[in-house]
Amino acid sequence: MTGKWSLRLRMTLFFALIGCAIPVVMGAALWAVGQKLAEGGDVGTLLLLYGGGAVLALMALVVGVGLLFDIHVAAPIQGLVRDLETAAHANPNHRIAVEAGRHLGPLPSVANELVESLAKAKREVEAKISLATATVEDQKGQLEAILRDLHQGVVMCNLNHEVLLYNQQALEILRAGGALGLGRSLFTVMNRQPFFHALERLTNRLNDGRHKTHKQGLTAPFVCATTDGHYTLQGRMSLILDDDEVATGYVITFEDKTADLAALGRRDHLLRAALEGLRRPLANLRAAAETISAHRGIDEASHEAFRRAIFEESERLTDMLDGLDADYEEIVTGHWPMADVYSANLLNCVIRRLREEKDIKGMMTGLPRWLHGDSHTLVELLDHVVHRVREHTDVRAFDLEASADEDHMHLDVIWEGEPIPASLLETWLDEPLVEGLGGLTARDVLEHHKTQLWSQSHDGKGARIRLPLPPAQDVASITRPALPSRPEFYDFGLLAAKERAGALGETPLRDLTFVVFDTETTGLRPSEGDEIISIAGVRIVNGRILTGESFSELVHPGRRIPKGSIRFHGITDEMVADKPPIDEVLPRFRDYVSDAVLVAHNAAFDMKFLKLKEETTGVRFDNAVLDTLLLSVFVHDHTDQHSLDACAERFGITIQGRHTALGDSLVTAEVFERMIDLLEARGVRTLDQAIEASNKIVEVRAQQEQF
Amino acid sequence: MAKTVLVVDDEPNMVLSLEFLMKDAGYEVRTASDGEAALAAVEESLPDLLLLDVVMPGRDGYDVCQTIRANPAWNDVRIVMITAKSRAVDKRKGRELGADAYLTKPFSTDDLMAQVATVMKGTGGAP
Repeated sequence: MTGKWSLRLRMTLFFALIGCAIPVVMGAALWAVGQKLAEGGDVGTLLLLYGGGAVLALMALVVGVGLLFDIHVAAPIQGLVRDLETAAHANPNHRIAVEAGRHLGPLPSVANELVESLAKAKREVEAKISLATATVEDQKGQLEAILRDLHQGVVMCNLNHEVLLYNQQALEILRAGGALGLGRSLFTVMNRQPFFHALERLTNRLNDGRHKTHKQGLTAPFVCATTDGHYTLQGRMSLILDDDEVATGYVITFEDKTADLAALGRRDHLLRAALEGLRRPLANLRAAAETISAHRGIDEASHEAFRRAIFEESERLTDMLDGLDADYEEIVTGHWPMADVYSANLLNCVIRRLREEKDIKGMMTGLPRWLHGDSHTLVELLDHVVHRVREHTDVRAFDLEASADEDHMHLDVIWEGEPIPASLLETWLDEPLVEGLGGLTARDVLEHHKTQLWSQSHDGKGARIRLPLPPAQDVASITRPALPSRPEFYDFGLLAAKERAGALGETPLRDLTFVVFDTETTGLRPSEGDEIISIAGVRIVNGRILTGESFSELVHPGRRIPKGSIRFHGITDEMVADKPPIDEVLPRFRDYVSDAVLVAHNAAFDMKFLKLKEETTGVRFDNAVLDTLLLSVFVHDHTDQHSLDACAERFGITIQGRHTALGDSLVTAEVFERMIDLLEARGVRTLDQAIEASNKIVEVRAQQEQF
Repeated sequence: MAKTVLVVDDEPNMVLSLEFLMKDAGYEVRTASDGEAALAAVEESLPDLLLLDVVMPGRDGYDVCQTIRANPAWNDVRIVMITAKSRAVDKRKGRELGADAYLTKPFSTDDLMAQVATVMKGTGGAP
């Protein structure tokens, strides 16, 4: 009932109660005193007695009212304050206890509504903030990806030329190492004058308002040298403006033009030397030839002198031309963008295109190589050539292969049939390739690459078109430095492997299908918890390494990858985070291997890992196994260098992409292919004989271990 | 019997010198001014040596060389390519297509005769 009364009314009633109680109590006391005086009492004593009683009664009333006030008003208000503080600062979902404050009228429920709307507002703000943060994170990720993939170096600076941001490419182009760092001056690595100049131009353009009409806007090109003077950079500077159109900094993007500019300079120099240098001997030659033919009656001594002059000048002219020629050939660059290209990527492009057509099949074979060229036009060229061969010969299946001899790299298109006559091939070269390349012909592409192309028989069996190309210019930075190889493992259980060969045992090695494989692992001790993190293989069929049919997968090892092992394989925890576990990968690899003969370098090591997984995965590898390390000991018994690197070097195989499972598989495959020739020379022709030869080596090593 | 040489070049002044030099060295000399004529001359009677220019109208020297090497009956012909194509890769192409030697224009006549002597070794030498 009281709950319906407002706080104000109740306050008024409290005080009205006190206000009414005073005259009532005082009046009652005076009335009582009057009664007692009539009965004949002492005035002083009566007043003291009844006055004191009245005062005490009034005090009791005030105390009672005060207590009620405290319980029903003050305490609930204090509680309310605590609740509000909690809701405001600690827990937005905290609500005020309405029951405790029921005497405060609607105050608690109003406060609750307030708290509710505050909480709602907070939730909304938080949602908006997290959405905005996600967007920013997203954009940041995209920006990082763009910066990472950019071919150019990117550096952002404030107007004091302090670096605010840079990408990895910038570090690489500047070879700056620690010199380029956030907050450090750009001029520790680059010469300042070109930047002052470009910045001044842009600021003037901005101040004059010309940037709105200028075709480059707020961007200006620059050329500058690194502070050490070793590299010439070419790039663009763009101003960064804030909302008020005031410049706050700038971004520069740049490329290393040192080699290009040097090549252009050399070419200019050559051209000048050719024009000026050839004039003089030619003048001498012409004068002598004309003199001798115009003056018939010349005496014998003069005649002899002129003849010698003709001889000397023509010799000089020849030498000069040869010199120019040699110099020109060294200048690899041109107007065409050239880069180091991995042959597998390039050939895959061609094969993907061929796949779209019904009657042509392309297959990548051989070991991939690093080449130098323009991959787009090379793909067009190969595509063109394959189609023409298809039309001319009716051949449908082509192998595409990168090959190399001592100092040449080639891209080969191989087929079963006859070579293409040179006259026909020449006519194909004069046809335009595709639209979008401005009528560019195959011959133009050859000219850009300063190369030739011809058709000849291939390994005595089929035919090929061979396209020689320069090797990659910067192989050192592409391939990781050589690392020590794994220690040798011997599994004396391999001795029993002969039974595995079964019916294949009698088959010549050349006719077998092999899967050459390799694993990368967290360490060298499979029985102590080390796990496979990458497994790859490549098939050899009829002596062809089928690069296009390779197997390569990363594996989640279910444990952390030790830091120390990362430098061997380059695989980090992040890279395998979303990869399948070995239980999923191994069955796939089993399917890939099928009944092929397994080949690996130091096979006992990889087989040990596979063996340990047999129980948990249920996948058994009971194929015959050949170990290129053991075979190497057998065929090259003159040396004790049998690491994969040593074997590859002996066979003149250029090593690219070593220490990845696929890279090592490919190198091992190439090594194995070459070994088959040597094995044959030593009378080892069949699988049984190869296993027997390996077993001999294992026996020898086993005996050595006893001592 | 004198060895025969077929000189193939579309530049008459070059043929003039080559013909003189080879006759002087004791060869019996025939000439052709393009690839088609060269192959016809080989067909007619097989020479011991071919001095073959590469850049010619119609069938070029590479083509002639490849055609000759594709015919086992003509395998004994020694081929010296003589051309203004001077890059290393041009020389490789010539060798891959079956030339025994490759000479870049302009050349010294001494070098020419030395190359001819080298490729003719094992065929009973120079005439």
